[in-house]
Amino acid sequence: MPSDRFRTMFRAIATDIHFWIPFSVLIGGLFLLDKLR
Amino acid sequence: MNSTPAPISESASPSLHAARLRSLQSLGIFCGFAAGAWLGGAEAPIKLVNPDISPITISLIMVCGVFLARWSVPAFIRGTSHVGADLRQAPHLVLWAVLAGCMWAVANTLTIYAIRNVGLSIAFPLWNTNSLLGIFWGVVLFKELQFAGWKKWLGVLGGAVCMFAGATLLAVASSHQAAPGKAALGIAAALGAGILWGTMYIPYRKAYLTGMNPLSFITFFTVGELVTMISLAVSYRGISPLLHEVVNARAVLFWLMLGGFVWVLGDLFQQYATKYVGISRGIPLSNTNQLWGLLWGILVFHELQGGTRTVYSQVISGSLLMAAGAVAIALSSATEREHSSWRSAADREGQRYGIEDEYVRAGMEGRAFGGPQRSRTALDWFLIIGTTGLFGLLASAARLPHMDITLSWAAALSAAMLALLVAGGLALWRTTRFR
Repeated sequence: MPSDRFRTMFRAIATDIHFWIPFSVLIGGLFLLDKLR
Repeated sequence: MNSTPAPISESASPSLHAARLRSLQSLGIFCGFAAGAWLGGAEAPIKLVNPDISPITISLIMVCGVFLARWSVPAFIRGTSHVGADLRQAPHLVLWAVLAGCMWAVANTLTIYAIRNVGLSIAFPLWNTNSLLGIFWGVVLFKELQFAGWKKWLGVLGGAVCMFAGATLLAVASSHQAAPGKAALGIAAALGAGILWGTMYIPYRKAYLTGMNPLSFITFFTVGELVTMISLAVSYRGISPLLHEVVNARAVLFWLMLGGFVWVLGDLFQQYATKYVGISRGIPLSNTNQLWGLLWGILVFHELQGGTRTVYSQVISGSLLMAAGAVAIALSSATEREHSSWRSAADREGQRYGIEDEYVRAGMEGRAFGGPQRSRTALDWFLIIGTTGLFGLLASAARLPHMDITLSWAAALSAAMLALLVAGGLALWRTTRFR
């Protein structure tokens, strides 16, 4: 089932530290950009 | 360089053949140097642009050129049907590619604020820390430099530190800054850009360890890049003033978009370098772009003319340090033992996301995977002809500004870049068929 495959994929992404490190850095960058405006 | 054609159709082997490994390492290192030339050369067309246009608008127009190049170049080289094939194998990487594109756009905008607040001499060395951060992530997350031995460690880390010191000297020499104001914010912006770029290499490495083709990765990367840049430009400038500025800039649209196109060719070499030698080696090597930018500035645009002896000694020492660092890294290619730890990092990715083992291994080894080669589709021809036509149209409206430019040096540097492009393209074709 494709939906099962995507659910598994998103679960794997959500528990992958490799995703959260760049994502947190991106949020930090956007926050900093907002301060600089 | 060693670009001996390898048996492309060989089946996956438990251990990568030593000759094949050497061939891929040499290819990656050559791509790193070619990336430096093309990324540095991308600055040249932008120097032809009137400084009255706002930096955000310049960035946005460049990214439009980048977007077109990131779709038309893969269409020209292999055809976009390969992108679909990669997508079916590793759909999760789309998210990483878009994330990396968003990071690039935010980092690029931060550099504009950094230069404005603290000047290039302070800002550049700060954001150039991205290669040191890249090495850190490569070691911690992807097992790069594991079992490498102290000589390789010294070569890579010492080379990166040398390049960092050289970059600092070059930035100091080439800056024409006024007294800095808002220093703390400028330093924060420059450091922020360095952290964003250094961390952006996590998605890069992840994609290439999993076996994705760089030509596929960049097509999704640019979606994040363009969407973020449009959002930033609209929120900073407003739709009407932004459109007004773009229309008024029609005479320089070609130069800006050409800068974006040239930049993409450099970035593509950087992606292949990351794929075949990892981020700890590929990123510092492509940071030699500063040397090429300096060559264009001094020889073609007569920058630093009438400079003091101190300035020239800074330029010479900085260039020598950067070149020495790059050579140290180039001579520290991965051994078979280190490569085996890359494979275990790749296996982790494959297991986590349920990717076919053969796809991961074939990607790492630059081999074919799956069925026969796909031919180009109507979409590919539309992208190639459409982009060529648009660039032709913009070129017809472009005006060369009245500037003191030495065209003979511009031709010589362009010829050197083209030679690297042809040599790199042939090596990639012969060794991996652009995989």
